[in-house]
Amino acid sequence: MLKVKNISKQFVSGDTTVKAVNDISLSVPEGTFATIIGKSGSGKSTLLALLGALDKPTQGQITVDDKDITKMGDRHLISYRRDSIGFVFQSYNLVPNLTALENVMLPMEFAGLKTDKQKKRALELLKIVGLDDQKAGRRPARLSGGEGQRVAIARALANKPRLILADEPTGNLDSQTGKVIVDLLKKLAKEEKTTIIAVTHDESIAAASELTFRLKDGKLIK
Amino acid sequence: MGTITRGIKNAFRNNLRSFSIVLILSIAIGMALVMLMSYRAVQNKIESVKNNIGNFITVAPAGIRGFEGGGSLLNSDDVSKISQIEAVTKTAKTLMDHLATDKTNLQAPTEAGNFGQRQRMQSGATNQTTNHAFVMPVMVSATDDLSVLSSLNVSKLDITSGEKFDATTEDNVALIGSSLATKNNLSVSSTFQAYGQDIKVVGVFDAGTEFSNAQAFMPLKTLQKLSGQNDQINSVVVQVSSIDKMSDVTANIEKALGDKADVTSSQDTSNQAIEPLENIKTISLYSLIGSLIAGAVILFLTMTMIVRERRREIGVLKAIGSSNAGIVTQFSSEALVLTLLGSAVGIILGAILSNPILNVLVSNNSSVPTPGAGGHSMMMRMGAGVAAGAQGTLQNLSANVGVDIILYGLGVAILIAIIGSAIPAFVISKVRPAEVLRSE
Repeated sequence: MLKVKNISKQFVSGDTTVKAVNDISLSVPEGTFATIIGKSGSGKSTLLALLGALDKPTQGQITVDDKDITKMGDRHLISYRRDSIGFVFQSYNLVPNLTALENVMLPMEFAGLKTDKQKKRALELLKIVGLDDQKAGRRPARLSGGEGQRVAIARALANKPRLILADEPTGNLDSQTGKVIVDLLKKLAKEEKTTIIAVTHDESIAAASELTFRLKDGKLIK
Repeated sequence: MGTITRGIKNAFRNNLRSFSIVLILSIAIGMALVMLMSYRAVQNKIESVKNNIGNFITVAPAGIRGFEGGGSLLNSDDVSKISQIEAVTKTAKTLMDHLATDKTNLQAPTEAGNFGQRQRMQSGATNQTTNHAFVMPVMVSATDDLSVLSSLNVSKLDITSGEKFDATTEDNVALIGSSLATKNNLSVSSTFQAYGQDIKVVGVFDAGTEFSNAQAFMPLKTLQKLSGQNDQINSVVVQVSSIDKMSDVTANIEKALGDKADVTSSQDTSNQAIEPLENIKTISLYSLIGSLIAGAVILFLTMTMIVRERRREIGVLKAIGSSNAGIVTQFSSEALVLTLLGSAVGIILGAILSNPILNVLVSNNSSVPTPGAGGHSMMMRMGAGVAAGAQGTLQNLSANVGVDIILYGLGVAILIAIIGSAIPAFVISKVRPAEVLRSE
């Protein structure tokens, strides 16, 4: 499903060139819950940004379902991110003045789905992640951390993406809630046949995943 | 929820800040509308003043100084030369004379007073009137066209009783001013003595000023005949086909009559009368531009601040599939809502403040213009009168809020929103969604 071949990403800071990702190749089959683990500064978030087409690699090739996303133009990248990728962020990154329901409806609005269909699917997704209609009407400030991350996962699923990329999805949660979220992601990978790649520095999450990639100083060490 | 709806909703995300922005914008937009209304009110008044003052040129014998002498009077040949000049549509000839007590049984309604006595003494006449108090003569003016009021040096001529005479005849008839009529117990069909003949009163007039109402008006030929000044003319009022041709006609008259005449254009008076209006117009225009710039800068800074604050949110929206255009539309809608609210309050502020501010502008730019140069004392008086009339209209300026002003207000709001959002929109387009992950 996902194939990464010899990708590198360099950043220039003043006179110094930093190789955040250095000649990485990997492959993730469809419906797999995979993790990328490494310490801070190891390059895992940069790798995630490259996989999600949020950034372009300095060199190398990334193919998703045999499409090379590194050669896509801006317009195609927008539709790729909208239709094929779902993002889950460490800080949830929900729009604060929208309700949980409206947050989940957002990607569907961008995809041009009619409002009634958006609402129906958003309510279904919130139910799948364990949030009832009452919680659906609340704004992020009135949700707990675990509930906020569930909304973010529901939002990531909105357009039935082939790939969900999660950046430290349990980083802001207590261990018990974090486990619930990891179980939810694993369940979704199986039931929705969605490939999930989560970046983490938590070994317990890596242990729970089917495939783990370890990064150190921008290089894959396993 | 659509992009625009989300933008509208975002405008009320922080109520206190939105209130402050709307308040500041409303002051800028209100000021812009006040200045627009002032500009238009002044522009209309300038047109009105130009129309009121009219397209007249006064031709008087060179060097003449009222009744103190100087210069030689004009004659019909001079008028003929003037009439032949292109764009001259009409000429009205005038002759004036003093009726002293030895020439008439009329008594002037105005006392000489200290000023009159002093002037008389300074003129050298005291030698003959050492022990006699000076008595004001009655002034008589004559014209061959009563429709040209400036030929009689009046701005209006209301006939309060009787009727006007035929100015082309040489009948012994007169129109007399209301003050002169009251002083001498005269009414329509009464007669008075002048130049040894009976003159019939055919009408009584009110010309609006004590000075004018103390006069008598006669047909031109009548006065020429009675005063023994055949073919003599004190001044000629020349009507020009349009204001644009005033300068050319003035130059051509000066060329045709040479040093014999002083030519005074009402355009000079007009220019002096509208000078303060032009000042107000300029101030209004610059203030209008300044207010618009201030509004745009306020919105620009606000939107820049908002965009910077929501940089991560913009990155998230891009990451989950929004296009640059969608995000720019959302922020522009937010800016438009703020400016429309600012406009609504600004229009109310403009309606309340327009006239007080216009009054302040007027009072700071008012000065009575000096009358036109040349001619005799009567013409100076006329110049002052016309200018004072313009000054009067200056004080009567008023700015009004109409539908067009409200539409202008909305246009201003949209313009400010577009300008104020342009650079923040550019910043939005440059936000890279990867920054969201990097800032985690």
